[in-house]
Amino acid sequence: MDMTAKSGLHVENIVKRFGTLTALENVSASFRPGEIHAVLGENGAGKSTLMGILSGFVVPDSGTVMLNGNPVPVGRPFDCKRLGIEMIHQHFTLVSEFTIAENFALSRLPGLMSSSEVSARAEPSLAAATRLGWELEPGRRVSSLSVGAQQRIEILKALGGDAQVIIFDEPTAVLSPDEVEDLFRVLRQLKTDGHVVILIAHKLSEVLSIADHVTVLRRGKWIASAPIAEVDERKLAEWMVGELPPPLPERKGTKLVPGLVGQDLTVLGDRGEAAIKNCSFEIKRGEILGIGGVDGNGQLELAEALVAVRPVAGALSFAGKQVNAEEMRISYVPQDRQHDGLAMGMTIEENLLITGHRKPMLRKGPFLNFRALHQWANELVKRFSVKANSPADRVAGLSGGNQQKVVVSRALDEQPDLLVVVNPTRGLDIRATEYVHSKIQEARDAGAAVALFSTDLDEIYTLADRVMFLSRGELIADTGAESLLGAKA
Amino acid sequence: MNGFLRFGLLLAGLIVVLLLTLAAFQLPIVDSVKLIFDGAFSDKFAWSRSAVKMTPLLLTGLGMVIAWRAGVYNIGGEGQFVVGAIFGAAVGKGLIGANAAAIPGGSLLVLVVCAIGGALWAWIAGWLYVRRGVEVVISTILLNFIAIQLLGFAVSGPLQEQKRQVPQTDLLPESLMLARFDRQTDVHLGTVLALVMAVVLTIFLYRTVAGYRLRLVGDNPKVARVNYIDPGRVQLSAMALSGAMCGLAGGVEYLGLVGQLGTTFPQQWGFLGIPVALLGGLNPMLTAGAAFFFGALFAGTENLARFTPAGTTIVYVIQATAVLAYVGLNGLRKARPKPEEESASTPS
Repeated sequence: MDMTAKSGLHVENIVKRFGTLTALENVSASFRPGEIHAVLGENGAGKSTLMGILSGFVVPDSGTVMLNGNPVPVGRPFDCKRLGIEMIHQHFTLVSEFTIAENFALSRLPGLMSSSEVSARAEPSLAAATRLGWELEPGRRVSSLSVGAQQRIEILKALGGDAQVIIFDEPTAVLSPDEVEDLFRVLRQLKTDGHVVILIAHKLSEVLSIADHVTVLRRGKWIASAPIAEVDERKLAEWMVGELPPPLPERKGTKLVPGLVGQDLTVLGDRGEAAIKNCSFEIKRGEILGIGGVDGNGQLELAEALVAVRPVAGALSFAGKQVNAEEMRISYVPQDRQHDGLAMGMTIEENLLITGHRKPMLRKGPFLNFRALHQWANELVKRFSVKANSPADRVAGLSGGNQQKVVVSRALDEQPDLLVVVNPTRGLDIRATEYVHSKIQEARDAGAAVALFSTDLDEIYTLADRVMFLSRGELIADTGAESLLGAKA
Repeated sequence: MNGFLRFGLLLAGLIVVLLLTLAAFQLPIVDSVKLIFDGAFSDKFAWSRSAVKMTPLLLTGLGMVIAWRAGVYNIGGEGQFVVGAIFGAAVGKGLIGANAAAIPGGSLLVLVVCAIGGALWAWIAGWLYVRRGVEVVISTILLNFIAIQLLGFAVSGPLQEQKRQVPQTDLLPESLMLARFDRQTDVHLGTVLALVMAVVLTIFLYRTVAGYRLRLVGDNPKVARVNYIDPGRVQLSAMALSGAMCGLAGGVEYLGLVGQLGTTFPQQWGFLGIPVALLGGLNPMLTAGAAFFFGALFAGTENLARFTPAGTTIVYVIQATAVLAYVGLNGLRKARPKPEEESASTPS
């Protein structure tokens, strides 16, 4: 009896802060052998931080981790690996120019390797492959494998040692339905073999079909743990998002006119993969379409296609005409302000100019009209209460929230025909968030067609008139979310 | 202003480096500094030598400023300098044949053609980068070698002097050369032209829409792209402008100083423009200051070389230090922690 209480992986009172942000607040949980334990939560709930701590990559501020009754040294990934805690990262940790066998051998630390050692060191992983019924060519280069096959290599790497705990970080995000089935079969096999299997997930249906136990985190706090038999989708959704937002007040009097129509849109990602597959939707003028879903499901690609900076296959039109940045006013708040939104080496004013330099008012022939420009920038900074001494300050000196305000103010300076915003309030405080929300609604009420991409369900349900979800490059209607969230209103 | 402060500090640092270098060469420091100072500033001859050395440095430095500000790291100033001069010499040959004195504005024509030649040479590297993804650093270095060979071919082939004895072009008639202000010194109109270019480039970069776009592309091409500015197009024009400036430098050297091209025509001004631009923080006016500093240093160390075994090599030590200082400063700036990022999901 005592033994069973001690066996498995136990975390107690883990606290982790990044600056002012508390990523984990007094989180405790127990993961038992022979069990698939799902850790569930929205983006930013603290799942990844917790797993980082378990595998030694993140050092907690306080708290303990125990494996089979012995303390696990925190912040030492090699020791964690030696103790048998293995992590299957969402972004694979494979050397793509190496062969499968070489990747296996590489993960067996420590020590130098000669080429003659490779096959010996790869042996345990290859044996695990046979056990799981996977056929491999050890001499094949990893770069030639599909994503699903690469994940198998990642799993087999973990099984090459004396693994006791195996952590899967959102493993299904990159897989096709068939591959998901096969992965689940393997998860069950690992469970029967007596491993501690931890599954980080955000999809409720998957969790319900595979997990034995579930723990829910929300904004860094432990919310609940329960055997799977005691929960249902509604319960889990409640735990994940907390109180459901009140239904939107019925809007009256706004006339909906034809706006953005997309039909069978396919958009390629940066690596040539189809990031958006056959999506169809309509956003009328005077309407906000909320597009939810977890990051990396094609949001960036679809948003860039909508604002006509990324080529798109299929029919995309606005009010019956082709989307054209020169004939209509398109405003865009990109997802990643530092990469796509701001020129970090320039001043606040110069960053506002990114859209402003097209305004005839701010130009004098080929020259910039500095008097008008200073006035315009000052007004914008004041209107959006960007906290800076002067618009001539460098934008890099602003806090993240104020940087976001620069991007948003630029986009909402003039009434757009089409407004595409991606996580517009990320990093903003409550007052600024409310202000940005009111400006988005204002733009909508003045006749803009608004596409609101957000990973924050609260935000989507507060603002959007209709909601769709992006999942692996496909747009799905809100029916799934309705059931996810229980009966809305 | 921040940029000026940094420039001043860098300059002060380089003077310290100069003193250390002199010490390393085991030269008497006070006497050497006096020799350098005299060589650069003692009388009108010294001042004019400094100005003459400054001229090509400033023009190639400005060329680097344009390209680097747009995020294309043109290392090919030397090739563009040489090819510009070759283009100019071709026109010069024609003008000599057609009795140059009869054609007003002949020198202006030669300068314009030099700029076009440099622009074309840089455009090749720009096109390879924008359309084919070839790194500019590599292609421009390779194009430098080709340019030097092209010069060797030109002065021993189609552009060779009529006597066909030495691999060089015919000397241009005085009427085609740029005007000099004083019979006794070498300062020519090209020096004024270079300074005017620094002002023009300042206005272009900081006062015009096109200059703003160029700086934006250099700072963050992705932001430019999602705001309907094609970074490739801007960078291609920046390369061409950069090459034009270096070609012009070649033309000014040709028409202002040497009057004929030979295999010794390349004096590395195209390379030396890089540390000049970096010391100037890629700002045209500060680049003018940096060009004058290095021009004076060249003139001064030439004087030093007359009396001591150490010569203009010292300039290269100082220049190398300037580049390292620039790289180091940028590294420090990147390493400095950014303001604290706030939470990814804001409680609401």
